Amino acid sequence: MIEELEIIIETTSKILQKHVNHSLRQNIVSENTDILNLWNEIEKNGLPKISVKEKFGGYEISFFSILPLIKIVNNHGTPLPLSETILSNYILSESDINPPNGIVTFATNTKNLQIKNNMISGEILSVPFLNLTKNLLIVHEFNNVKKAILIDEINGEIIHKKNFLAEPRYDIKVENLNIAEMKPIKNNIDFNFLGAILRSAQMIGAMEKVVDLSINYCSERKQFGRTLSKFQAIQHQISEMAVELSASSAALSTITELGLSEKNSNDTAILKIRAGFAAGKIIAISHQVHGAIGFTKEYELSYFTKNLNSWRNDFGNESFWEEFLGKRFLKKNNQNLWEYLT
Amino acid sequence: MSKFNFPFIKETNELSNLRKEVREFITTCIINNEFRPSPDAWVFSADPSFSKKLGSKGWLGMSFPKEYGGHQRTALERYVVTEELLSSGAPVAAHWIADRQSGSQILRYGNEKQKSSIIPRITAGECFFAIGMSEPDSGSDLASVKTKATKTKNGWKLEGRKIWSTGAHLAHYMIVLARTSPASEKNRQEGLSQFLVDLSLPNVKITGIPDMTGQRHFNETLFDNVELSDDSLLGEEGKGWKQVVGELALERSGPERFLSHFTLLDSFINEFRNSLIYSGTKIVGKLISEIQTLRRMSFSVASMLQNGESPETQAAFVKELGNKFEKMMIETLREFSNIVPLHEWPNQLQNLFEDATLRIPSNSLRGGTTEIMKGIIARQLGLR
Repeated sequence: MIEELEIIIETTSKILQKHVNHSLRQNIVSENTDILNLWNEIEKNGLPKISVKEKFGGYEISFFSILPLIKIVNNHGTPLPLSETILSNYILSESDINPPNGIVTFATNTKNLQIKNNMISGEILSVPFLNLTKNLLIVHEFNNVKKAILIDEINGEIIHKKNFLAEPRYDIKVENLNIAEMKPIKNNIDFNFLGAILRSAQMIGAMEKVVDLSINYCSERKQFGRTLSKFQAIQHQISEMAVELSASSAALSTITELGLSEKNSNDTAILKIRAGFAAGKIIAISHQVHGAIGFTKEYELSYFTKNLNSWRNDFGNESFWEEFLGKRFLKKNNQNLWEYLT
Repeated sequence: MSKFNFPFIKETNELSNLRKEVREFITTCIINNEFRPSPDAWVFSADPSFSKKLGSKGWLGMSFPKEYGGHQRTALERYVVTEELLSSGAPVAAHWIADRQSGSQILRYGNEKQKSSIIPRITAGECFFAIGMSEPDSGSDLASVKTKATKTKNGWKLEGRKIWSTGAHLAHYMIVLARTSPASEKNRQEGLSQFLVDLSLPNVKITGIPDMTGQRHFNETLFDNVELSDDSLLGEEGKGWKQVVGELALERSGPERFLSHFTLLDSFINEFRNSLIYSGTKIVGKLISEIQTLRRMSFSVASMLQNGESPETQAAFVKELGNKFEKMMIETLREFSNIVPLHEWPNQLQNLFEDATLRIPSNSLRGGTTEIMKGIIARQLGLR
């Protein structure tokens, strides 16, 4: 399986290397044939169903083992919801729903959801790339039962389109929309945890790119007669980015190895806190060392930093997970901190 | 930038059992009043009899080969033991440097006589070491050391001064970095060598330097034409720089870089647990996430050392992040005093807090400054 994954990672890198460029990122619409061609290429290689059960036509590789792939997809700044599709399809498959072909996006949040006669109404919030697909996964709890809901003909009133982010995102209001499939989710699948893990892996992939862009830029740009990289003040700032990034990667490798279980749910919190914090530092420093060019639309840095800004807020920001972690420990009155940590 | 990975290493059941065993031993020592937990204990709290006791338990020189009295256990096992000792504030300063770096350095570069005469004593907790790197005019710029060793008929003559050597007044030996031939124009790192110096030799003069807390652990050591035997040279003549860089990986990557003040955090949480549930969950969560990440990284470096890799850069990452964490932790606790004012904290906790506040500036100086760590990282990123 590991070998299989390595081959998949290699092919994916080649595809992305060939197709993804910054002009593609500036025109993320379904009329853009380059966008559609890229998706077709990705789908042909089976990536969207990499963590889907074999009986539904997937590779059935654990969602946690493929996190390095998620990292690479976002390291290339791929302007498609491949990461969202992989997670949505995984959750659908684990809930025994056959995932549809094509792009599947998810609702990051919902408001006032109601279900009647297999129809859904309410507000579906912060849906990435809704302009590229009709397939949507909603995870929602009704009467203490968590359910996976698949919509395959989404339409509704757009109440907010978020343009300040690199990726298109939509809030929509739907009324009596048909549900394609709805099934209870297994206990061990927690959308908020999985989403936090997904966004962290995406952030780490993007942060690797941002650090590389900064290193390259500073090694070429000359001021006062030498490259920026020769200034100690610049070297130290870039080192700080590297330190933050390496700590986040270490936190991610824990999840890649251990997955997610009751026993190690703290590791998800640690990962999201670590990656979110690092993203804050790395956004600020990378823009600082890039100067004005980094602040332009034409240069690719901002595609990554805008995404970082939105991902660090999805599925709980640092404060949310810090409280989760702190509360969890403090309520265990019989354990001192060291016992708890070890 | 995916060059510097910290692969996940699992703590096996054997390691957890070892952890338990050490913890029980420490608990018994505390109950029997054999020591009082103290902050920064690996620097400040020396107790040769406690070191000897650890030696008899088999917890010193753990990874050293059996033929030299070692236990041939893994670097991961040593890691677990050091974590337990540090988190409880046990008095480990006497043997710390010998066990952490000097012993390994001798095993790696020493001759047979050096190994067989010294390693068994380190393992028994009877032989202590000090570091002989910095000098009055050479701090961060280590390659500029002026201490000189000149070849004589019977060995070497050592002349110069070393400074900031923690515990030199208790140590039996110092590994001294000295110049054995002039620096070349191009490469100042050439012509340096390491020497294993017996501190009881004539013409070695050790003077204590009280630090800003008023305690003595620092020393200045004068080598006033000290006659060294031929086999005092450690490793190869002229290869001292390469040797010293390897030693620094051992020095920088361990859990002492983030657990030096753990006793303070532990007491703080035990004291204020109930108020923290209402007004401090977030800060506790932040601290937990940082400690756990650091433990993961440092454990990963231990495994690299075990595999014979040279994780000098990874060690710099751990040290830099660990130093930052400890400073952040003390600031965080200080800010909590808007909930319970500092003067209402129990006296013992106030003392721990004041101690930590006083000592914290040294954490990003000792073992290489923040600036040096960042420089090492920048070099590896191709910026220098």
